Amino acid sequence: MKECDFVIIGGGPGGIAAAIKAAQAGVNVTLLDENERPGGQCFRQFEKGFTVADPDALGPDYRDGQELLHQLNSMQDKIRYLNNTLVWGIFEDRTLALARNGTTSSLRFKHLLVATGAYDRPVPFPGWTLPGVFTAGGAQKLVKSECVLPGQNILLAGTGPLQLVLADQILKAGGRIEAILEAGNIGENWIRGLMGIWGNWDFLKEGMRYLRSIQKAGVPFLRSHVILEARGDGQVEEAVIAKVDKNWRPRLNTARSVKVDTICLGYGLVPSTELTMLAECEHKYDLKQGGYIPLRKANMETSVPGIYAVGDGAGVAGRKVAIEEGCIAGISVASALGCIPHAKAREQIKPCRKRLDKINRFRKILDDISLPRKGLYELATDDTVICRCEDVTLKQLKAALADDTIQIKDLKRMTRIGMGPCEGRMCGPSIIEMMRHRLNAVAEDVGYLKPRPSIKPVALGVLAGNNSRS
Amino acid sequence: MSKGERRVYQGVERGQPFEIEVDGEKIVAHEGETIGAALLAAGRRTLRYTHKLEQPRGLYCGIGLCQECRMTVNGIPNTQACQTLATPGCQVETQKSFNKRKS
Repeated sequence: MKECDFVIIGGGPGGIAAAIKAAQAGVNVTLLDENERPGGQCFRQFEKGFTVADPDALGPDYRDGQELLHQLNSMQDKIRYLNNTLVWGIFEDRTLALARNGTTSSLRFKHLLVATGAYDRPVPFPGWTLPGVFTAGGAQKLVKSECVLPGQNILLAGTGPLQLVLADQILKAGGRIEAILEAGNIGENWIRGLMGIWGNWDFLKEGMRYLRSIQKAGVPFLRSHVILEARGDGQVEEAVIAKVDKNWRPRLNTARSVKVDTICLGYGLVPSTELTMLAECEHKYDLKQGGYIPLRKANMETSVPGIYAVGDGAGVAGRKVAIEEGCIAGISVASALGCIPHAKAREQIKPCRKRLDKINRFRKILDDISLPRKGLYELATDDTVICRCEDVTLKQLKAALADDTIQIKDLKRMTRIGMGPCEGRMCGPSIIEMMRHRLNAVAEDVGYLKPRPSIKPVALGVLAGNNSRS
Repeated sequence: MSKGERRVYQGVERGQPFEIEVDGEKIVAHEGETIGAALLAAGRRTLRYTHKLEQPRGLYCGIGLCQECRMTVNGIPNTQACQTLATPGCQVETQKSFNKRKS
């Protein structure tokens, strides 16, 4: 079996930035990516077949992405990019299990960077499983890379700036948005409040541009509002919305119904920590950063020596943070492998850290507005399906909880939550929050749904068949 | 969902159009589109029914995680519609619950 000096999992902004920095220092890098082409969710490229007349119209993140992707392409002698590659497990002796093109293989690493990104926070409420309810990220992928609108009359519900990005993209594509619901209590003067933070002008400019585009289209932007229920016969036909208090608990006398055929939910992101958890890195719970995240040193190394983590998968903070963290990890690994002297590495890391600090000051304010509040996890009713794969309802969860269950792993045994093909990604984060509030416990006491290999479904034929070694 | 155009054409040139078959019905897909996107564009949003409660499900996360869009494609069950590119003539079937499959 081949041993690689530096393996990176995830071809998004963080993974690419790390690959470039390490390769520049002379490290041979293996970059594993599940997608056809690099870029991740953020810098997702169009599928073959599409031609876009004006790529600039696709926004600043697309332009940033093109630059990084171009650099990546120019370093093919140092960076081996493996597309369509799923890392489905991490085993003893620093061995990764891969599935690619219908075969499985293993790969050993000296240093590993996990840059697996994040996914939309699932929030259960009555009707959230109806066809026509999308995550904001899913809707964005449809609009951005396949140029298909998710529906005819769209309601956006959630919190934070990513909703505005999606709204802008839908409007540009000619879609109709009924309203945008922001659960957070942003207050009348929030823009002015943000202006007070010196130096992050490009963020603010971006935000203002999105807000203007929404205003120009006449789309109502409703602060302190959530969706309570999606209704329809077999698919979404209407949504019930209401104003919320500071704990995001709905004021029921403000509830009203709006006719929409599509709902996009963007309640922030949850880090994809399956691989750092499998590798037995220590994790802590920080809801502001999306939930469980690996503990990291300043050089982005986790509690397991030689395993690093960057980007949204190590704490949700967006593409700019992912890039800076990726650079730091790439340089640190190059230094650990002896490709650059420690002093030089420290020198190279300094400006990255400076930029990180600046971005983080700004982020703290957004995080405070968008932190999911208690009320969000009280929307589900007895019949609401919480675990989509196994059809487990809130009623079943409550019955099991009455048994003095305090850990989520016990709940798993009793109800089958998290045992379906999504491997607990769609139910775990909300059940942890529900249990935490209900039992008045800290999340670490509730625990988490332990990921097991394979972390995504792999066909038995692939596992049993061509067991080649790369 | 009401009928109407969901594909965006402004500023975008699409790949070659071709037909695919969904539960026996022919719909148009373009090169580069996933099966999920082509179905959505054709106004078809239910992709499978759940095993126990037999509830309809459609595209949800759209990025290959939630597994809600599992369909039978060219005879292979549990194929993710959001991750699988449409190919000319491919046969797509809505996935039924266990109970319905037995009958």
